[in-house]
Amino acid sequence: MSSGTDFSRRNRRTATTAFVVVAGMVGLTFAFVPLYTLICQVTGLGGTPQVAERNETDVSTQEITVRFDANVDRSLPWDFAPNEASVTINLGAEYLTSYRSTNLSDEAVTGISTFNVTPLKAAQYFTKIECFCFTEQTLEPGQSVDMPVTFYIDPAILEDELANEVQTITLSYTFYRTLDDIPDEEPEIISEADQVITTAQVGSF
Amino acid sequence: MTRISAFFTGWVLTLVSASSAWAQEMPTPSFPVPWQLNLQTPASPVAERLVEFHNFLLVICTVISVIVLALLIWCAIRYNAKANPVPSKNTHNTLLEIVWTAIPVIVLVIIAVPSYRLLYYMDRVEDPGLTIKVIGNQWYWTYEFPDDDISFDSLPLPDDEIDIAAGQHRLLEVDTPLILPTDTDIRILFTATDVLHAWTIPAFGVKLDNVPGRTNETWTRITIPGKYYGQCSELCGIDHSYMPIVVHAVSPEEFEAWRADQLAANDNTPDDANRLAALIQE
Amino acid sequence: MSTTATHAHDDDHNHAPKGISRWLNSTNHKDIGTMYLVFSVVAALVGGGLSLLIRIELGEPGIQVFDVIGEMMGSEAKQFYNVTVTAHALLMVFFVVMPALIGGFGNWFVPMMIGAPDMAFPRMNNISFWLMPPALILLILSGVMGQGAGTGWTLYPPLSGLAGQPDMSVDFAILSLHLAGASSILGATNFITTILNMRAPGMTMHKAPLFVWATLITAVLLLLAMPVLAGALTMLLTDRNFGTAFFDPRGGGDPLLWQHLFWFFGHPEVYIMILPAFGIVSHIVSTFSRKPVFGYLGMAYAMASIGIVGFVVWAHHMYTVGMGVNYRAYFVAVTMAIAVPTGIKIFSWIATMWGGSISFKTPMMWAIGFIFLFTVGGVTGVVLANAGMDIAMHDTYYVVAHFHYVLSLGAIFAIFAGFYYWFDKMTGKVYPEWAGQLHFWTTFIGVNVLFFPQHFLGLAGMPRRYIDYPDIFAEWNMVSTWGAYLTMTSTVFFLIVTLIVMIAGRKSVANPWGDGATTLEWTVASPAPFHTFEDTPDFTGGNPAAHPAE
Repeated sequence: MSSGTDFSRRNRRTATTAFVVVAGMVGLTFAFVPLYTLICQVTGLGGTPQVAERNETDVSTQEITVRFDANVDRSLPWDFAPNEASVTINLGAEYLTSYRSTNLSDEAVTGISTFNVTPLKAAQYFTKIECFCFTEQTLEPGQSVDMPVTFYIDPAILEDELANEVQTITLSYTFYRTLDDIPDEEPEIISEADQVITTAQVGSF
Repeated sequence: MTRISAFFTGWVLTLVSASSAWAQEMPTPSFPVPWQLNLQTPASPVAERLVEFHNFLLVICTVISVIVLALLIWCAIRYNAKANPVPSKNTHNTLLEIVWTAIPVIVLVIIAVPSYRLLYYMDRVEDPGLTIKVIGNQWYWTYEFPDDDISFDSLPLPDDEIDIAAGQHRLLEVDTPLILPTDTDIRILFTATDVLHAWTIPAFGVKLDNVPGRTNETWTRITIPGKYYGQCSELCGIDHSYMPIVVHAVSPEEFEAWRADQLAANDNTPDDANRLAALIQE
Repeated sequence: MSTTATHAHDDDHNHAPKGISRWLNSTNHKDIGTMYLVFSVVAALVGGGLSLLIRIELGEPGIQVFDVIGEMMGSEAKQFYNVTVTAHALLMVFFVVMPALIGGFGNWFVPMMIGAPDMAFPRMNNISFWLMPPALILLILSGVMGQGAGTGWTLYPPLSGLAGQPDMSVDFAILSLHLAGASSILGATNFITTILNMRAPGMTMHKAPLFVWATLITAVLLLLAMPVLAGALTMLLTDRNFGTAFFDPRGGGDPLLWQHLFWFFGHPEVYIMILPAFGIVSHIVSTFSRKPVFGYLGMAYAMASIGIVGFVVWAHHMYTVGMGVNYRAYFVAVTMAIAVPTGIKIFSWIATMWGGSISFKTPMMWAIGFIFLFTVGGVTGVVLANAGMDIAMHDTYYVVAHFHYVLSLGAIFAIFAGFYYWFDKMTGKVYPEWAGQLHFWTTFIGVNVLFFPQHFLGLAGMPRRYIDYPDIFAEWNMVSTWGAYLTMTSTVFFLIVTLIVMIAGRKSVANPWGDGATTLEWTVASPAPFHTFEDTPDFTGGNPAAHPAE
């Protein structure tokens, strides 16, 4: 009989190990959420630009064009656009541009933005110094603000055989209404979309 | 060729003002035929390479499948119980096992070389002279020419508005097609406003997801003028099957004419800032 | 036969509990295996019925049947089509293939093949099974509640989020998959413990039959992949109901995170569906060639390497999502690498037949059909592995054709092969050979007519998950639908014959397949007794089944 209990003890140990593995995998899945963000930031996956404290690169004579792109989600009653469509700068040179947001509604609204740069392979050379990335912005009714972005393009891009042909980089932002700020009423049904919804919704807020 | 394109230029220019008529008369160089077996006729350098690479892969696939089938048939003939009543006990052959590991590796390397050449070719961007932005919505497309402030929606035509006699195709026509120049590098930016969509034109070898909150980029260069079709290629809800894509590829001169028309039309509408200011004051 | 027949019958032998409690409270691996198989057939009837609806709908351009069905279901035709596509996929993956291969054949034959009296945790085995019916009910509810979950089985947000599907249908689908996942995890734990600890004396892992190897590797994959799905589903559920923002940009989330997590589970999942099939096919090819499996160790380690590499290839499902070129280049390389161990398996099966004395009984026909059709699905997989080429095929019918060749004509063929192979052992009845052959040939022709034209449709540019398509694609769609009719007729024939044989079939013997069948299940009577072995088989002197009683 002792071999029988031995058997069940061994079985229990194997099963416990299996359940620990399962728990570990669930844990890893949740750990992957911040890790994914980190991977994007470090490697430029999905076109995530780099962030630096200051610009330590040398200015090159080589020029590059940066285009500025802006999108607003329908739920956000804002006007949001770059103050200049594009700029041509030297590699390594720091540049300050800005986007303008205007709250078109009659109540305070909080927005949050996502952003990326394309071509995706240029992301690891696109470095932002000061930005409104992911910081929430609350605008009072009718308020307009300029949102500054300081950035430079790392001249190391010239040494990247896969990316050195890139002559134009697009920096794109999308503004959303923050999740906490979504009004209580039923969410707008997306299928009833209307291109000029930012203005059409003005009265309802 | 020049005669054809001259003819082409001629009639397109006369139609610029009546753009609804465009939909009916353009040639469709890449449209599939009944019982089509292979990819559509390519109309861009990328698509040409895709067709070439696919034909190469097709040969390899067919050869492998036929070899496996032939071996199975040979076993069935030579080693069926009647023909070979006493089975051999052979279960190992190191040389054979090395060979059938090594040969697939070699075949894969042979595939990988053109595959990577194609992949990096598609990824390499020259500096395009034209940028367009494709925005996916449930369930229509919005096209923007960001440098010119041109923006319009492209809505599907319902079945009862399709004129099949005039060469229109059910489920594929839109009210306002996208006009693009041929022989021009075009940068395409992709994004979406609600859920995932994927904008594709098979004849251009372009297919990329429109992801809300993110921009994607690719490029194309259309080699043949004509009318091209695509359909949304990422499940996006109820009307996923009903948001076609239509591109009219015209010569750069005709494109410029169209663009000038659009810009002139733009000047006649009050600009956005004034409109918004008026709304805020209300 | 020697081990069982020479011993006097013990009083408890074959004392199966009677009535409903035998099934409800079952702790017997064979009874649970039977329940899994019956469950799988029920789910297959629903899932197969849905696929027939899809094919009838696509038989000609325009909307044929879904306007009527949609109205009946209180949903819009086009939405209900999406619901049907979604439910068909989820049913086939989680409620047909997995329960049949792992729950059904795994439960029936893994303990028998290793000479174990039962699974390591018989009561946990019961829970594993009984989680499945509620999961199935939840899945069906997800299709009929509200507007129905029409997100595709991949449940990509934002479409699966509140913005895309605001009512509760997707929540039902999530909970259904949670239950099915929990069932799989419990089952996997049970299989791992059983296989690692409960093998007969003398049966080292290197002597274990390949189906045992396949089940062990599958169980490990389940253990590593299912929790990832569970975690991701939980995130989706809290995003939908509790205001989190894992996949919602409005709270700093990213919809693409879901795709990474889903496919980290989803790609191993396809190997979870095919590895047990590999195991079954190995046994059948060996049995009917009257030869041991060629390159046994290579076969076992090929499966192990397919399992391992399966975890690092997930983003080949995401080539068009907008991913850096170097990432795509990496995924091309590892994905193509999987072709090597798969090739080893194909060639080893052929080498097993080579020099053999092959009898082409029904199970062997299905196994040979599997080998060829899986090869066809494999080579189109190599085509799709190329990130550049995939631009032309992504989300077209080419992909649909590819994965039906490896799953429908792969995994399902292996299920039929296993069914005919073990039918005598499970029921004690003889399946009429002519009926099996007729079923095989009609299905073989039917599924090829059904799925091969879909390659052409995909290449010509027809996107998948479309309720209606441009008229130019009508011809091949019509052919494809004919194939579906033939396949369905063949399946109905199979079901009727099976019912008749179960009721009125001839009695079978312990080993109907002769000296090629060398695994332990053939040493016990047919049907296998309630308690399989009276004495634990002993492998220390070699395989007792390989040297049948004199």
